[in-house]
Amino acid sequence: MSRPFPYTYISCPCADTPVPEPGRKRKSTLSPQKPERTSVPAEDSQETQKEKDDDDEQEQEAQGEDEEEQTFDPRSPRSNFSLYPPEQLLYCEDCHQIKCPRCITEEIVSWYCPNCLFETPSSMVKSDGNRCGRNCFNCPACTAPLAVSAIENMAGNATQQGPWVLSCGYCLWTTLDIGIKFDKPTNIRSQLQKMTDSTAPASFDRKPSRTFGDLKSPLATFSSIDEQSNARHEEDPDQSAHKEDSAPPLGAEARFAALKSFYRTQINETSNSPSDPLSSEFGFSSPGALNRLMSLYASSSRLGGLYGSGNKKPKSKPPVMREALTASEGLRIADSLAEVEVIERLASADCGWNGVASADQRTEQSPDVRFVDDLLPLPVLLRTKRAKRCKPCKHILVKPETKPQSTRFRIRLIALSYIPLPTLRPLAFPSSSSVVSPTVPAPDLTALPPLRPIHVLLNLKNHMFDPVRITLATPSVTPGRVSSKVTVLCPQFEIGANSDVWDEALQGAEAPIADSRSATLRGGEKVPEAGKVWDKGRNWTTVVLEVVPGTLPGTDPLSQGGADDGQSPALPDEDVLEIPVFVHMEWEAEVQLEQQNVGKSSKPDDLVTRELAYWMVLGVGRIQAGL
Amino acid sequence: MATLKPPSATHRSSSSAPPGPPRAPVKADPSATIADTAVFQGTHPITIGPGTVIHPRARLYSYEGPITIGDGCIISEKAVIGAAPESASKERSASSSRTASPSPSPSTPTDGTTTTTQTIHTPTPEEGLPIRISYFVTIGPLSSILPGSHIHSAAAIDSLATIHRGAEIGSHAKICAGCVVPQNGRVAEWTVVWGSGVGQRRTRGRGARPPGSAVRVAAYVAQVPVPESAPEGKLVEDARLMVLVREREALGRMIAGAKKR
Repeated sequence: MSRPFPYTYISCPCADTPVPEPGRKRKSTLSPQKPERTSVPAEDSQETQKEKDDDDEQEQEAQGEDEEEQTFDPRSPRSNFSLYPPEQLLYCEDCHQIKCPRCITEEIVSWYCPNCLFETPSSMVKSDGNRCGRNCFNCPACTAPLAVSAIENMAGNATQQGPWVLSCGYCLWTTLDIGIKFDKPTNIRSQLQKMTDSTAPASFDRKPSRTFGDLKSPLATFSSIDEQSNARHEEDPDQSAHKEDSAPPLGAEARFAALKSFYRTQINETSNSPSDPLSSEFGFSSPGALNRLMSLYASSSRLGGLYGSGNKKPKSKPPVMREALTASEGLRIADSLAEVEVIERLASADCGWNGVASADQRTEQSPDVRFVDDLLPLPVLLRTKRAKRCKPCKHILVKPETKPQSTRFRIRLIALSYIPLPTLRPLAFPSSSSVVSPTVPAPDLTALPPLRPIHVLLNLKNHMFDPVRITLATPSVTPGRVSSKVTVLCPQFEIGANSDVWDEALQGAEAPIADSRSATLRGGEKVPEAGKVWDKGRNWTTVVLEVVPGTLPGTDPLSQGGADDGQSPALPDEDVLEIPVFVHMEWEAEVQLEQQNVGKSSKPDDLVTRELAYWMVLGVGRIQAGL
Repeated sequence: MATLKPPSATHRSSSSAPPGPPRAPVKADPSATIADTAVFQGTHPITIGPGTVIHPRARLYSYEGPITIGDGCIISEKAVIGAAPESASKERSASSSRTASPSPSPSTPTDGTTTTTQTIHTPTPEEGLPIRISYFVTIGPLSSILPGSHIHSAAAIDSLATIHRGAEIGSHAKICAGCVVPQNGRVAEWTVVWGSGVGQRRTRGRGARPPGSAVRVAAYVAQVPVPESAPEGKLVEDARLMVLVREREALGRMIAGAKKR
């Protein structure tokens, strides 16, 4: 996989939990004699015993149990979605479960500009878009941040505060390149907006002409498309006159605004029953054709009432929604001459290749922009701070501070403070040659010789303040075509609590320290033994795994000419030796307050036994093709 | 104001063993500021104009041709102008464009022969590959300029940029950090080379531009007169050069102050 060997991944249990079916839930809650259970497997077994009659259900249960029994296969396509590096996982204290990015929801805490670190209220984000509303701009040519600078001051005569420009320190682009200067050094965005905004309401007030006024409510007079198109032809001379004086075509924003207002009026006009509360909802997408179509089903459906055609005779033909017809409504007809103009400009000497906006530059700009002279500076995109919640219980897992300047978190329940951190490293010498000197280097993990046993050290470090009992289980043979044999030499062990370092030192717990020290001293001669932990420290324990890498398909040395015996050659990444390990941890935690009150079976010393189980995957290395 | 350190006096190579690299004949204007640790090697003359600043550990190699640096240039730290001998001999055959390695190794017999032949021939500037750097050029740290290139006035070359052999950089051009101008490449005047590698090019605004189409449309829509065209883009460039002048002046004052103490 993407990480260098050796790596460890932890599988989030959310992949195994079945999707909750509403039907099953209801059933389980309805059955009276069933006690309330929270753990899913228990519920499943109960149900299999009970509901023998329901075949579908039973099958599902059986499948579920199968999956429960199955060893985790790191190669299955499904496991791709549940394996995460341990650092990326969170932990929900209410569900007592590991949470991966798939089983959390995110919500935006605050919006801020990464450039000026000012928070933007979400209401402003909604109205002005998610761009910085202040002076932060990116260069349209090279995307570097732009600086506001005074021209006169730059030229040296610092007496007068001159006009200001935005300038890029990297590619030396300035707003002078597009002929823009600013009168004030503040509120650049609104100044620029004012300069380039073509959506001003003036566009409609300007021409309170008959053309626009007529078209605004055409539905009073026209009831079908044909009549409208006729009417359009009649209006044509008027339109051409209108076109003449609108020499520069509307910008993209202005066209959008015009179209939006046009269709809004259209919708208002076509939704014919203003008294109906649902008309705004259903009338939205109701051109006359759809309306009429729906009325065919009106007699039988509930919707009939909505369109007023439930009663047999509709009073009048429903008005027809029409499309935008004039430029003032936002219509733009492709002009063949405009294309010629563009081509001529492309070919002209002063434009050339450098004068044409690149694809990268155009994606950020309005779709009309073709040349670098038309590029406008871009306000910086805002970023968000997000809180994360557990999906089932809505418990907050991560909550950053709202202030953009602060990088701290109010709540951050990362999984590593609850589950032991697994780290893997190869033992310095292969056990097959037990008499070698300790200077034998660690095996090359990117080329493990097949069928030769290696030892790897699995270190588990506890970050909890309670000691943890760990049980490791692993399939004796790894799943998949490359079957490597794996043995955990010490599957059951304990990890100490993450107590204060000084506490331990003051209490004179020399034993573990001395133990580890001596272990490191005679690390060379130390031989892995079954049933014994390799090493142990204050809050960590190391155990040895013995791995015999299998042979890759097609390279089996026992069958000569392995490629002929029907085995296909190894697939990509099939040579990666990954070991699934089931971790079961058990510890005694202090009872939380609410549970203390409710739970009657709590022990007198307020300790409750907690357990957590999950799969993890150890990526040991790559198996060599040949021996 | 500025102090001239005759490079021969404090040069490390002068104190080194006789088979050390040859020291280039430097003809520097007295008003130029040259750091003690700048390296001048080669056989061809190096000319440095008045007001030019050469920062510490800049290396100028004139093995393949003379180097001419005009007035008011700034050569930053560790910039390499010219090609070191061993890479030069390699490049002459394979024309592979690798810049000089940090320190020229003790000269090998082959190097000695090449240099001697060159000195015997006493080549005219036309014969070798001269490096010409015009007025007010800024050369950034760690950038390298290979023999035969010609940099026109007021060009700016950022850090880690590479100008290959025979390239020509127009006046007021800028080569952004890390960009490469290929062999015999031409960068027109008032052009910015940006991006990575060979990069993209952009023509800087020089004269006054009328407001862009977006502004014209908006003005038309809002029924206001189109704002008068902005001042010339040259203003910004003038300001940049002004800043450079001030930088050089400040540096001169700083060095003078340090000398007094």
